[in-house]
Order: sequence, then C-alpha cells, then structure tokens
Amino acid sequence: MEWDWNFVWQILPTLVEGVKITILATLLGSVLAAVVGMGIALARRSPNKFLSRPVGFLAEFIRGTPLLVQLYFIFFVLPDAGITLAPLVAGVIGLGLHYGTYTAEVYRAGIDNVPRGQWEAAKACNLSAPQTWTRIILPQALPPMIPALANYFIAMFKETPLLSAITVLELMNQAKSVANSSYRYIEPITLVGVFFLVISIPSVIFLRQLERRYSGRPGR
Amino acid sequence: MPSPMIEIDKVCKSFGEFQVLRDLTFTVAPGEKLALIGPSGSGKTTILRILMTLETINAGHIKVDGDHLWHKPANGNLVPADEAHLHLMRAKIGMVFQLFNLFPHMTVLRNVMLAPMLTKRTGRKDAQSRAMDLLDMVGMADKATSMPAQLSGCQKQRVAIARALALSPKIMLFDEVTSALDPELVEEVLNVMRKLAAETDMTMLLVTHEMGFAHDFADRVLFFDGGKIVEEGKPDEIFRHPKQERTQAFLRKIIAAGHRV
Repeated sequence: MEWDWNFVWQILPTLVEGVKITILATLLGSVLAAVVGMGIALARRSPNKFLSRPVGFLAEFIRGTPLLVQLYFIFFVLPDAGITLAPLVAGVIGLGLHYGTYTAEVYRAGIDNVPRGQWEAAKACNLSAPQTWTRIILPQALPPMIPALANYFIAMFKETPLLSAITVLELMNQAKSVANSSYRYIEPITLVGVFFLVISIPSVIFLRQLERRYSGRPGR
Repeated sequence: MPSPMIEIDKVCKSFGEFQVLRDLTFTVAPGEKLALIGPSGSGKTTILRILMTLETINAGHIKVDGDHLWHKPANGNLVPADEAHLHLMRAKIGMVFQLFNLFPHMTVLRNVMLAPMLTKRTGRKDAQSRAMDLLDMVGMADKATSMPAQLSGCQKQRVAIARALALSPKIMLFDEVTSALDPELVEEVLNVMRKLAAETDMTMLLVTHEMGFAHDFADRVLFFDGGKIVEEGKPDEIFRHPKQERTQAFLRKIIAAGHRV
C-alpha cells in the first residue's frame, strides 16, 4: 500500500464538489434545526396541552431514534405515502429535525434562565405575550445559548457522512464512489478526514471565541 | 364620599394547601396612600401581585376604578376576564418590585420608553421626552444612556419607579421596594416616593418593613396576619396605640430588630 500523490490530485476536484454539498447540507440543516428547535421549545411551553404534549412526545421520539433510521424513513419510506423528496432535501430535513430536538433543549434552558422577575416586569409594563417574547425574553435568552447551539452545528457537520446512505453526493459519498471505481481507498478516505479536520478546527476555535464573548451575562 | 379606587370583596387565594388570603375585604379611596404591614407570609405582597394580575384569585371579586379586575360582565353575568380585558385593566396600574426587574439588555432610557411605545403607540420622540421628564423627577436623567448593570441598587430602583410611572397609572404598587437596598441609601428611594405623593394624586399601596416611613407616608395602615386584616387605622393609632395583641407583638419584634417606628 503506497500513497499516490498523482491520484490525490486527480480525485481532488471530485472531492471538492462533495465538500460543497457537505457544507451546504450543514448550513441548511443548522438553519432548520435553529428554527425547528425554537418551535419545539415554544410549543412545549404552551399552556395548551393539546399542543405541548404531542410536540413533547414527538421530540422525545425523534431524539430517541438514530438519525440514520430517520434519514431512511424520510427518503425511502415517505415516497410510499406519496411524498418524494430529492436526496439533499431529505437529508437537510433529517438533519434539521434531528438536531432541532437537541437545540430545543438549549432554547428551553436559555429561556428558563431568564429570571421570573423579567416576565413579571413585562406584565407590569402591560406588554402582550408576543412583545414579551420578542422584546424581553428572547433578547436575554439567546446570547448565552449561542455557544451551545454552535456546538450542535459542529456535531451536525461531522454527521453529514450519514447522508451518503440516502445518495446525497456529499464528501463521503464522492470519496466512496472514487474508491469503488479505482479500488484505492487510502487516498480518498484519508482526504475525507483531512477535509473534515480542516473545517472543524477553525470552527472549534471560533466556538471558543463565542464562548468567551457570551460567557458574561448582563446583570439584572 | 367618592367611589373607591380599589374594592376588594371576599377574596380568597391559596397556593396548594396553603391559604394565603381568607375572605379578604377592604377598599382604597382615590388618592389614598395605604401601607400594608405584617409578618412575612401574611398575604400582603400577594394582594399587590393579584392587583397587578401576576396571581389569580380563587374566590371573591376585585374592582379597580369602577371595573371588575378578574371578571367582566357578559349578558348580565360576570365571566372570567380574558386577556384583552386584563390588558385594559393593567394600564391603570403600575408596580415597583423588590428586585427592580429592570430589563438588563436596554439602556435606562429604553427601559422607561418601552411600555408607552409598545402599548400606547406613543411616538419615539414623545416617549423619549416623557421618559426624560420622569428620569429627571427621580434624579436619574444623567444616567439615561447607562445600562442597568452599571447602576447601584438605589439607582436601579429609582429607574424602576420612573418605568412604572411611564404609563401614567392611577394606582402605584410598591412591593418592599427598599428591602434589597443598602440601608444608608434607602432614603434616596423614599424621597422619590415622598415627592411622588406630594406632586400627584395617585393611589398608592405599599408593602414595607420601613415602619418609620409608613408612619409618615401613609394615610392609613393595614396590619395583616394569617391572610386577614387584624387591625387597621391611622398610622398613629397603629404604631403608637395598637389595640390588638398580635399588632403589639409584631411591632415589638420589628423594633427589636432595629427598625425605627
């Protein structure tokens, strides 16, 4: 087994195409997870039990089952119900839903950390419920949760190879197809690892900066 | 005799098994300054919280400025108030909290401007000039651009008073507003309240352990124990010549703890 630099240069453009899809899936998945998580967190706090209970159950269900199974379900089972999705769309939905159940816990903790007195002051100022959320609670709850959210998005990034199982042509899938057609695994799979490392190390450094920036909370 | 500003009629309130208020009945006249005193757990703070709609009631009726607070008339019957009705009623009432509860992510000025801009659609310019007037009145105009975290407790509480005044309430509720403050600086806040009482005809209810201040400030004092009014009267009657055994015992304890009466 020998490292072949010529082969590396030959397959690099194909892998770069894969990296683009990996990054795209991560970004779209993160946006979806951020939105879904907020929706779940707000629904679970709703006084309406017909909303909070089913959403809570669904969130626990999604968190308690593997992402790979969910991806298979979305891509291979839903077409039986007449819902056919492109691979990337199915992958982003899978990532967004799965990680949305985790970010929901981050939102929940962040919202719970806002002192009860803030809710009471908002009421004494006669603010409506939407005004209380958008002007008082979320502006205080969101900044401290940014590092935790970013942490999940980095974790999501490293799980994108699972999308190769539903034919998304992301980095891992491109590497596998290159490897399968040339019978050489060492270069493509090593490069996959290198690509992930090259992206996640700066991400983690950026995350540490976020943590430093938002660790100090404003006083009462 | 003008009709009362606040009418509390046979109000009951429980937290689980613990009954905080038992068939409580009293009225407050417009412009009256009322001090509520008593041991902790006697229900005095709960009354303020119920008036601010932070707590519901289990039984009884409350009228504020002639309208039901927790109910509204519908086809000749009284039904529980909806959010729209509570919104109308809350506009008549302002509250200052023991722990200030300023919004920490906004400047002092924004804290005071926010409620008029959001609930009365007051324009930015009008809201700002009114907020500056109020901050001036509480002696905090020079801190308008500061963040709450940069202020001392007394300064925060003065801003909180300005914020509560911004909606021009008819009733102001003060819930142990000096309890969390440095004793040497308590006077700063009390002076603002004296000024407020002298310059406005607002109805004011205060829950306090500052017996000296209650004595000078209040028109009438209610002594609470066990969710009931044990004794009520003019400050001199309550503080100098309390009739009830429990009032006497409470005042002795307060004096022993170093509070002046």
